[in-house]
Amino acid sequence: MIDYAIDLCIIGLSVGMVYALVALGISLIFSGLDIVHFAHGEIYMIGAFIGLMLFQKLALPYVPTLLLAVILTGFVGVFIERVFYRRLTRAGGGYTVAGMGMVIVGFGMSIVLQNVAFLIWGPKPFPFPVPFGRPIELGNLALPMSYVWIVVTALTLMAALHLVLRKTMIGLAIRAVAHNKDIAYLSGVNVPLMISTIFGIACALGAAAGVLIAPINYVQVQMGVGILIKAFAAAVVGGFGSLPGAVLGGLLVGVVESLGAGFISGTYKDIYAFVLLIVVLMVKPSGILGVAAKVKA
Amino acid sequence: MAAMLEISDLVGGYGSVQILNGASLKVETGQIAALLGGNGTGKSTLLKATSGLIKPWAGTITFDGERIDGLRPDTIVRRGLVQVTQGKEAFPAMTVEENLKLGAYVVRSRARMAAALERVYGYFPVLKDKRRQLSGTLSGGQLQMVCIGRGLMSSPKMIMLDEPSAALAPQVVMEIFRTIHRISRDGMTVLMVEQNVRMALLLAAYGYVIKDGVIHLEGPADKMIHDDNVRLSYLGGTVANREARL
Repeated sequence: MIDYAIDLCIIGLSVGMVYALVALGISLIFSGLDIVHFAHGEIYMIGAFIGLMLFQKLALPYVPTLLLAVILTGFVGVFIERVFYRRLTRAGGGYTVAGMGMVIVGFGMSIVLQNVAFLIWGPKPFPFPVPFGRPIELGNLALPMSYVWIVVTALTLMAALHLVLRKTMIGLAIRAVAHNKDIAYLSGVNVPLMISTIFGIACALGAAAGVLIAPINYVQVQMGVGILIKAFAAAVVGGFGSLPGAVLGGLLVGVVESLGAGFISGTYKDIYAFVLLIVVLMVKPSGILGVAAKVKA
Repeated sequence: MAAMLEISDLVGGYGSVQILNGASLKVETGQIAALLGGNGTGKSTLLKATSGLIKPWAGTITFDGERIDGLRPDTIVRRGLVQVTQGKEAFPAMTVEENLKLGAYVVRSRARMAAALERVYGYFPVLKDKRRQLSGTLSGGQLQMVCIGRGLMSSPKMIMLDEPSAALAPQVVMEIFRTIHRISRDGMTVLMVEQNVRMALLLAAYGYVIKDGVIHLEGPADKMIHDDNVRLSYLGGTVANREARL
């Protein structure tokens, strides 16, 4: 019984890492651009497809595939932000009228990206078979290597993000832009460039999640819809806009979902995340690590 | 003496609200100039238009011999003109040193950044003691020091201070003004927006009074300080303001 619970927790933690990566992107965009990005699930899907192309068509090994997919999707994100979102965010995000427009544009972008992917790759789910080798034995659980890869890669990316934000001038500038764009500007930070950078990093994290989950699930056009809702649940549970909160929320959602599926029923797997969300919101509406609502100028 | 900053016929505002109606002023190299006026007369708007935070609608701004109107704020910082905003806006979740380092964002050399940091700690020794503290834990005076220090970190040619004495205790105001004097003596050109007319005119060489978005009066500070028009013009502003608040 206990062993079974531990096994479920390990599986939950590794899937939770994927939620955490997507939630991190959503939180980064929210704190940096003051917008809630509803097309982030599609970024994750595009990332997975780019990975699939690199892996199958170019026959790259898994690690270069992952790295290249992350970088390429980052640039796709920068392109989307520069060409489509910039005009709206310039007028103001957050709770302004323009911020509402941004929400609609996010939904629109999500539909556009799904249809673009549909035109290119069709409706069929693609397998993403990676020969990871034998599962590792943890007690009586044989953990597939794909899960180990998720955990290792996600932790590496999170550590890298943390170091960049805390130890470099770019990180300092990103934090400055997130807090107060005028003061960041007056300190000499190229704010529009930094906003593109933030968006690019967020999309890169989403792509990493997509490429990491692909060997376990299939790659398909609709895959972004489910993850978006889970990642939102994760971000809100942890405290919207808080980066450590996004990670914590992602892991919690993963574990709760896995325990629910194991002990109650797998049929209702998608419900548990939202039960967790409702409970957390009842107890602490700002989320576990959330501070009181961000003050908007 | 050449003018470091020359603003002519500046028109601008927010959205469709015009606030500046053709303001002109000039700051000589190495000088402290004071821009005085009541609330809502366009002081801060003038600074924001000069630093690039808002785009001027008409008029020209020449800094160090080159036009800067319409440039992005970070480009203007690179040219050597820095604005310190009103309201002691620091980044509360960053340490004092991180706040200061951010001010040197345009400085790419570590050695120059370290030198700038030492210079700022020289002006504000208390910041050196508190350099690892989050700026959110500082007092108002220390926060103002962080903001002025951040402005100095890129080693600009000129600094514009928006009400450095606002909402500070009298001793702290004295300390800030003394430091501004030192900074100026070390070669910095300063444009200072102030409500504290007497103090500002004691420190400055030249004064401007802005009213309804145009320069209403100007002259050498030592003459202005005894000018009844200045007192009236300025006090008029505050009395009206006080009534409005009641």
